Amino acid sequence: MKYQPLNLGRWLLWGATATVFVIAPLVFTDSFALTMLTQMGAFIIFALSYNMLLGQGGMLSFGHAVYSGLGAYITVHALNLVGKGAFYVPVALLPLVGGIAGLVFGVLFGYVTTKRAGTTFALISLGIGEMVFACVLMFPGFFGGEAGVSTNRVVGRAFLGLTFGPAVQVYYLVAFWCFACMAAMFALTQTPLGRMANAVRDNPERAEFVGYNTQHVRFLQLVLSSFFAGISGGLSCINFEIVSAENVSAIRSGGVLLATFIGGVPFFFGPIVGAIVFIFFVVALSGFTKAWLLYLGLFFLLMVLYVPGGIASLVLMQIPVIRARRFGELVWPYCLAAGASFVALAGLVGMVEMVYHLSDVSGGTQMALAGVGFDARSGLPWLVFAALLAAGLVALRYASHFVGARWGTIQHDLLARGP
Amino acid sequence: MNQAVPAFELREVHKSFGSTRIINGVSLAIREGERHAIIGPNGAGKTTLFNLISGRYEVSAGQILLHGEDITGLAPFEINRKGLSRSFQVTNIFHNLSVYENIRCGEFWAAGYRYSFWHRVGGLKDVQRRAEEVMERIGLAKRRDLPAGTLTYAEQRALEIGVTIAGGSRVILLDEPTAGMSRTETAQAVELIRQVTEGRTLVMVEHDMGVVFNLADRISVLVYGEILATGTPEEIRANPAVQEAYLGALHKENADA
Repeated sequence: MKYQPLNLGRWLLWGATATVFVIAPLVFTDSFALTMLTQMGAFIIFALSYNMLLGQGGMLSFGHAVYSGLGAYITVHALNLVGKGAFYVPVALLPLVGGIAGLVFGVLFGYVTTKRAGTTFALISLGIGEMVFACVLMFPGFFGGEAGVSTNRVVGRAFLGLTFGPAVQVYYLVAFWCFACMAAMFALTQTPLGRMANAVRDNPERAEFVGYNTQHVRFLQLVLSSFFAGISGGLSCINFEIVSAENVSAIRSGGVLLATFIGGVPFFFGPIVGAIVFIFFVVALSGFTKAWLLYLGLFFLLMVLYVPGGIASLVLMQIPVIRARRFGELVWPYCLAAGASFVALAGLVGMVEMVYHLSDVSGGTQMALAGVGFDARSGLPWLVFAALLAAGLVALRYASHFVGARWGTIQHDLLARGP
Repeated sequence: MNQAVPAFELREVHKSFGSTRIINGVSLAIREGERHAIIGPNGAGKTTLFNLISGRYEVSAGQILLHGEDITGLAPFEINRKGLSRSFQVTNIFHNLSVYENIRCGEFWAAGYRYSFWHRVGGLKDVQRRAEEVMERIGLAKRRDLPAGTLTYAEQRALEIGVTIAGGSRVILLDEPTAGMSRTETAQAVELIRQVTEGRTLVMVEHDMGVVFNLADRISVLVYGEILATGTPEEIRANPAVQEAYLGALHKENADA
């Protein structure tokens, strides 16, 4: 009986998630936003599958793109065969082909990688990633070389009236698979294997003494994870209608690690948040500035240093404070800290953008930021931005002390009151 | 129970690390259902002996049998699946998992769920019931949802025993279960061990002579990797060789303290 509120909360949460999936394209109607949402959906599956290794199994992989990428390659060939009429699979079910391909490669490579845990696992995964990338370029007949393999997703008979020509139909296809995979991956955490993956992560030796071969636990966890990675690869193949070496590259493997970490490794929903933020950086910010990768790197650095539990931990930390009706005391310090960060960020962005602008002066040294035009060669803008950055950092220092002090008092009171 | 076949048996077991011989031809038969204590001075090789029996180390020579079956050279998980479970001298639990999760992890394999990813753990009533029962027995029912790492030392030691017995193994090895405990905590631990090993075979390494003479049906004295004597507590007390090698020194230590 006493677990009912939790279950109700869970139903509400999943219901809300489903609702967001359904109404998102009605809120963000322009085609750019729709593209971004579609990519987010596919990346959420990828990041969650990655966290089955890192967060749940304690396996730091540097080659997870191998499974999504090879899943995508198999999907693209399947789609082309369907186009030629060799056999018929509804496009809506093609991600499953990618998933099965991911699973098969998971069995193949996972047998080697999961022999060891820890650093050795990380290094072997890196090696396999490089090996697969090299193979993709070595066999252009199948992998299409640098250019990749392109396809056309509008093939065969329309399935339930869906051709998947319009982008919105692709979005809903991705949304459906994303929701199903989220639910499946959550369900997996609630099985004996999922629980033992946590146990093996925490203390592999003890797991051996309660009857478990830790190598088998890691292997099964990796195979299941690569199944979902393959589904994500299949979806991105349908979305972009092209699969290239980039899909299996170390850059992509690094990207999913970045996204998962930013979102929060210790929590199931962390990678969901991380994937959304990451795709926002990659897709939206890259349209505004050439320096987006630098900003992403800086953001990642700050998260690793100051918020190792990711964005998810920041959110969850507030819940007991809100429950105790003490959040009001934190609003003002939070606002101050946010303001200070904004000032510092403005200064930083100004200087970074000027550096980037000067690195390519073919368009002249005149530039504009936030509607204000200036010459990147003159001294005044440099002074202004440097002053903003310095002032922001000093203010942030004070603001963080302020936040820390208030936070400390509240935590102290909460502890004193007991659970 | 078949009294003829020992619960487990060591035959001329040797273990050396490099040229250092730690265990030197130990032969020992533990009867089904008995509580057996292994005592001996520091460095005698007691924990090494446990590590050999449970598969953590490989024997250099000799044979180990569990219920008459040769288990020499098997991996720890294989030995555990055959019905032998052990605890550790240095607390060895799943620190980030809750008390309840710790106990459940000790049960899954023995309950037959193995590597299942198609059973929902919330629906496994047998596992749940048994976990509640074990938590009740080790006195941690109220700590159910706390991460194991946040428990007090004595509670962690109790959980260590809980994880060890959760799977229902017939042979239990406890490595210094009362190490570092206060007098009251030790008394509680002894009661706990007595209860949870009812009807099973228990072998324990223990330094506290009060615990040993209170719990054990038989005692083996291990000195420099060799069994000096095996017998009932009375026999061991009366054994002059043991007194000289070990108990005498200990009595003196206690008198000084």
